[in-house]
Amino acid sequence: MRRIAVTALFFLTINPVLAAADASEESENPIDVIGKVQDHHYLDVAGYYLYLPRILFVEGSAIPYIYGSTESAVKSGNFEELPDHSLVSTMGNDIVLDMSITSHLMYFWFGIILTLWITIAMAIKYKKGTGRETEPSGWFQNLFEITFVFIRDDIARTNISDDKYKKFVPYLFAVFVSITFMNLFGLLPWGVTATADITVTGILAAFTFFITQWNGSKDHWEHVFWFPGVPGWLRIILTPIEILGLFTKPFALAVRLFANMLSGKIMIICILGLIFIFAEYFNPAFGLGSSVLVVPLTVALYVLKAFVGVLQAYIFTLLSAVFIGMAADEHEHEEGQIEAHA
Amino acid sequence: MGLLAAGIGAGIVAIGAGFGIGMIGKAAVESIARQPEASADIRGAMILTAALIEGVALIAAIVCILLVFFA
Repeated sequence: MRRIAVTALFFLTINPVLAAADASEESENPIDVIGKVQDHHYLDVAGYYLYLPRILFVEGSAIPYIYGSTESAVKSGNFEELPDHSLVSTMGNDIVLDMSITSHLMYFWFGIILTLWITIAMAIKYKKGTGRETEPSGWFQNLFEITFVFIRDDIARTNISDDKYKKFVPYLFAVFVSITFMNLFGLLPWGVTATADITVTGILAAFTFFITQWNGSKDHWEHVFWFPGVPGWLRIILTPIEILGLFTKPFALAVRLFANMLSGKIMIICILGLIFIFAEYFNPAFGLGSSVLVVPLTVALYVLKAFVGVLQAYIFTLLSAVFIGMAADEHEHEEGQIEAHA
Repeated sequence: MGLLAAGIGAGIVAIGAGFGIGMIGKAAVESIARQPEASADIRGAMILTAALIEGVALIAAIVCILLVFFA
């Protein structure tokens, strides 16, 4: 029985692939994977498009052109829309800077506003004395306190030296909470994962980079430019590697978060899209039948994605703390002892 | 051609990342078995190292995605 099921499953999966290879020459793909993960100039709210403002800096004028939506930018006659949805100026000038508000930026702001709201509300509550003089009240404050103590003790204190870690707890906590929110927003219906965009994660990693370098101790810079305890000629090789290392760390940080969120999203779209691929290349009944298999699989993937969203926020925060701790750490110099490790 | 390259690339990435994370898991489980009281520290170190490997693997995976959609 099981062998029959496995064989059936094998043929079910192999045929559409072959069929897709034949059909892809003449027809468009039935599902637009890239369109689902791309940045748009509108928010999709339950099927209704909420258009977002366009702010365009055009060559030769210091004042930006501001429109309520792409449509009104086209209507004004100054811009026209190309088939790939990009705008060009009709006056022949190049668009120097496109500062338009996009869906990823909106969700980035949603995450930040939610973080601000939670932290400010909690700060007011603690100021009143709840939680300091009495026990924390309500599930929300308890959850907040668990998260905060976890960030402070397990992430900041274990990785940054004891006299300095307090300064970085607010940053680490803010990053953790806002990344968690941004990751989980993508699971909502019509939601957009802001962190599935390399620019968003790049900005977050840039924050970590600047905080790391700003708080770098003397030893950190000595290790970068004048590695202690190695023969002089070796520094010709070591210094460029160390300087490169400064930049690869935040780059890997950005790409890790971005790729995790993007792959999760693409995976869900592809697996759910199997229904439509089956319906397109065979017949609708086939698609309906395959949904019995596909929908539970997607539900499982959603649970996995919710877990991965929190885990990646944790990993981002942990690695930020590790990098900050490595840079801020001051080694104890002892006479006559050579330090040769980073 | 881009599709073929992406498929082969994704396979090799999976082999490498699976091997690396498997080694970490093996070492972590062994050390927890030897010293169960240190399991919290070991788990933290395990997640950190796995994240570092994952980063390299995902950079390669992104290259594969780019090959599929833009090559």
